[in-house]
Amino acid sequence: MTNSLSIYLIEFGHLAAYLAMAVALVQGMAPIVAHVAHRPAWARVSINASVALFVLTSIGFVTLLQAFVTSNFSVQYVAMNSNSLLPMLYKVTGLWGGHEGSLYLWVWVLTLFTMVVGIHGRSRYPERLPVILAVQGWLAVGFFGLILFLSNPFTRLFPIPLDGRDLNPLLQDPGMAFHPPTLYFGYVGFSVPFAFAMAALITRWKSELWIGLVRRWTLIAWGFLTMGIIMGGWWAYYELGWGGYWAWDPVENASFMPWLMGTALIHSITVQERRRMLHTWNIFLIITTFSLSLLGTFLVRSGVLSSVHAFAVDPGRGFYILAFMITVLTISFGIFLARGRYQEAEETVTTPLSRESMFVWNNVLFTVGAASVLLGTLYPLALEALTDAKITVGPPYFNKVMVPVFLVIMLLMAIAPLVPWRKANPERLLSRLLIPVAMGLIGLVVMLVAVRPMQWTAIIGVSLVAFVLGTLFTDLFRAVRQRQAQHPGLGLVLGTIRTVLGNRRHYGGMLVHFGIAVIAIGLVGSGLFRQEKTVVMSPGDEVVIGNERLQFDGVVKLQGPNYTATQGRLTLLDSGRVLTPERREYPVQQMPTTEASIDSTLARDVYSVLGEPSGTAAMPRWAIHVYFNPLVKFIWLGGVLCAGGLGLTLSFRVRKRAAAQVGAPVPANR
Amino acid sequence: MRRLIFLLSLFLVCTPLYARPTPSDVIVLPPVSTGSAPVTVTEDPLERRMLEIAGALRCTVCQNQPVSESNADLAKDMRGLIRDQLQAGRSRQEIMDYFVERYGDYVLLKPPYEHAGAILWIAPPVLLLLLAVLAVYFIRRNTRQPSPPPAPTLSPEDLARIRAARQQD
Repeated sequence: MTNSLSIYLIEFGHLAAYLAMAVALVQGMAPIVAHVAHRPAWARVSINASVALFVLTSIGFVTLLQAFVTSNFSVQYVAMNSNSLLPMLYKVTGLWGGHEGSLYLWVWVLTLFTMVVGIHGRSRYPERLPVILAVQGWLAVGFFGLILFLSNPFTRLFPIPLDGRDLNPLLQDPGMAFHPPTLYFGYVGFSVPFAFAMAALITRWKSELWIGLVRRWTLIAWGFLTMGIIMGGWWAYYELGWGGYWAWDPVENASFMPWLMGTALIHSITVQERRRMLHTWNIFLIITTFSLSLLGTFLVRSGVLSSVHAFAVDPGRGFYILAFMITVLTISFGIFLARGRYQEAEETVTTPLSRESMFVWNNVLFTVGAASVLLGTLYPLALEALTDAKITVGPPYFNKVMVPVFLVIMLLMAIAPLVPWRKANPERLLSRLLIPVAMGLIGLVVMLVAVRPMQWTAIIGVSLVAFVLGTLFTDLFRAVRQRQAQHPGLGLVLGTIRTVLGNRRHYGGMLVHFGIAVIAIGLVGSGLFRQEKTVVMSPGDEVVIGNERLQFDGVVKLQGPNYTATQGRLTLLDSGRVLTPERREYPVQQMPTTEASIDSTLARDVYSVLGEPSGTAAMPRWAIHVYFNPLVKFIWLGGVLCAGGLGLTLSFRVRKRAAAQVGAPVPANR
Repeated sequence: MRRLIFLLSLFLVCTPLYARPTPSDVIVLPPVSTGSAPVTVTEDPLERRMLEIAGALRCTVCQNQPVSESNADLAKDMRGLIRDQLQAGRSRQEIMDYFVERYGDYVLLKPPYEHAGAILWIAPPVLLLLLAVLAVYFIRRNTRQPSPPPAPTLSPEDLARIRAARQQD
């Protein structure tokens, strides 16, 4: 289906990618040259360059897309990751189905963010903008170097194969359209705070002037990363067919580490904005978070995870990635050490019992969590590379280490929002905590009485969730009562709405906390109370799991667009609903996959997977895996709440205030 | 951000629509009639114990998959071995030891507490302790400074006056 236009178009895109790298180089060099040549006006070249960089990168992106859509197998990357029979949606998403394309998506998102910063900063922070853009320009140069010289998606293939090798069947799922781009927007989003921090260190930009801007960018990146991780969990849940959503796989950890540090960062930035402290620590967090984003990208993309030796199979690529990481780390921490002292905090923690000291403890716990995940992920690689000894760090390790950390974080989440800034009056704090503590205790008693078998994590987890909910309620209710006192006759509903909308920033954050509490319920329910059964069934047989009875009705054969499938049918006898788990065979990749089928209600998921056949033609028997997963839906609902909370927080406009008095500390809300 | 929320809700709402693409043409096999009455099948307890042990072992040829969930031939063989050993009356620990003897610690999903695994278990609590000490130092160092004298307390009359003023608002 390749016509002559396609052949020229892809070369045009290839050329555009080279030009993009050149433009990125110009963008990175402009402020340096301007500084050396004492021509400040030259620095502004990088602002226009950021637009050109995005346009050129997009041209490359679109031509690659066109190659996928038209199944142009003269492009090696298309031939490796697509097939003429592939449904159109997966032809498009196949673009980021492999190593080269996903790096290209990464750099495309980077240029998009760079351009948006360029447009956003033109009137707001024009004199620092070139340096910010230059930092991002250098990152783009680094990535384009890897893409164009070592992992080129534009490479041509002759002779042209008759058909492509197909996209990995596991990736042939609508989740592919959402999960990787969202995750990349999160990873790359942290490049913006990174560029701001670098520019601030280099130009000695007073931190009060940029921290508010960085906070919004950080929240946006954090939001994308959070959504990307939750979508990934959801996708893994219904696609991979083992009944779970999170396996502490290194690939998952790769996205989780920047999330943990990013979460520490969004809390710690608030302290700096409100109380003018922790300046250097925040810059450290920004650098660390972005470095972990880079590490995550490279861990997943370098092949080092499948085996340390796979990394060595392609020494050029591995060496480049390692060198790039080391360069970024050395330069950024070097600048940090050299210039960090110019970003001095103006104020300090006044009392141990205050909101700011709570934030310090939050940061301690998130840092320990991130460091533990980092250790568990990298240690086996380092051990094998250095001593040839092999060790596995699997889910039991991460659960054992991280669950206590999470529980303490939940405890902080239950107390900290009620602790006032600067100095708390212990007596008043205790009276505020009365309702939350009571709710926590009720949760504890209910769990102790109702739940068998005893699981201490579940008991403590649920009590803490109740504690957190009590705190969120108290926090909101106190503010509503205050508003009602000021405006007599104000109804409860209207009062609540006005209170929330009047301080969107705070209640957005609290809504995210609520989302996290809801997720925690889902994690406890599905993680600790799940049931599973593996049975062999003949048509007509029944199996009981949880409070559901399932009848196996037999199997049917199906013909999909690019696969054949055997579909089992299981009827939930209480509701009459039908589960249809499938086993699929994709002929091009010779790869069998299983498609789970899930019946989901708010209270539980019944999850079924069709196993292997046994028995005879006259008496067919099938292995069936059924899982009873309580409360899984809470996790996805909690994700939606988090997104809503972020939207609420970000809908608070800073522009008016920023225009009036740049850098003034935000007035405390109470 | 609003667009993201919209997309996400769309994503959640549409699951049943696209999670299971409708195949183009469907060949339905006639359901096999067994003639016998429906039987409630139960799980073989041996199988459950086998899967529980297999869930703690790594499939050594796979990428981060436990033996219980892998379709690799090696994992199938290992499941068979566990089954045989359970039937022979061996305990969980004996079976785990059997595999560690052959594959080393690599086969355990939970790293051992000693040897190469020790640092994994020691590091997180040590780091927590270290950071906690630093945090306490950071908070105390600054709070040691003499705090300003407490604000004078309001006399009952003043308090009443303020209350009255608030009421008028």
